[in-house]
Amino acid sequence: LNAIHKLEPVFWLLFGGGGFVAAFFLPGFLIGVGLLAPLGLMESGLGYDRVLSLATSPVGRVFLISMLSLILWHCAHHMRHVIMDLGGASTAALAAYLSYGSALVGTLVTFGLVLSL
Amino acid sequence: VSASEAQVAEPTRTSPARPPAGYPFAFPRYRNYVLFGATSFFMLIGVVVLLFGIAALGRGPEAWEGYLASLGSPLGLLLTVVVLVNTLYFAVRFGWVGRKIAGARLMGFPVAPPVPLEVHGLLLPGGFAFVWLLVVLVLGGVMP
Repeated sequence: LNAIHKLEPVFWLLFGGGGFVAAFFLPGFLIGVGLLAPLGLMESGLGYDRVLSLATSPVGRVFLISMLSLILWHCAHHMRHVIMDLGGASTAALAAYLSYGSALVGTLVTFGLVLSL
Repeated sequence: VSASEAQVAEPTRTSPARPPAGYPFAFPRYRNYVLFGATSFFMLIGVVVLLFGIAALGRGPEAWEGYLASLGSPLGLLLTVVVLVNTLYFAVRFGWVGRKIAGARLMGFPVAPPVPLEVHGLLLPGGFAFVWLLVVLVLGGVMP
């Protein structure tokens, strides 16, 4: 856990940045992709060709990787503390490695998926 | 051995950390804190759903259409609504708490917010909501 504690400022930075990114962008994506598109209200905007061209533009790739990765690290840090709050100090190591490990794997998956488009 | 050397040799004993009485659900303050933390679990699900979308995008037009169709199923819509409600709660509370972040400093002294704290607390959630609208307009093709 010493290594985790030494990296705490980095995790806090990712947590804060991810929180802002999540608050600014995630609801818009959930409303657009998850609600309006399945209801047939986004046909002109979320057609395959347009979405692919948005997602594969340089700005689109950087945006997607940054947004999704930062939110993952935000969630990891927040969940680590929820687990510790509810489970007690004995869960500290498990919570840290599980949360940050998942965020690291998720970040690598995000890079892989976006760059392979 | 001097008294100060003895203090250095023997670390201060502290009692183990323990949750306050009534934690986590007995009082609104505790309950809101735990709920705020729990939103991260649902936001994580939201990110995973979007990652499935990117994966479908990479597999071609039919996979993308299938992805949107799966989101349109009753289960998909329910999942989206649950994730969205949690994300909105997170965003509003995140912005509301943000009003207490120290503002600008002038010559080393903090500057009072230009508007009352209650109004100040609405600025960030208002800004978030404006960006949500922009994102929906861009995704919908109304804006480039």
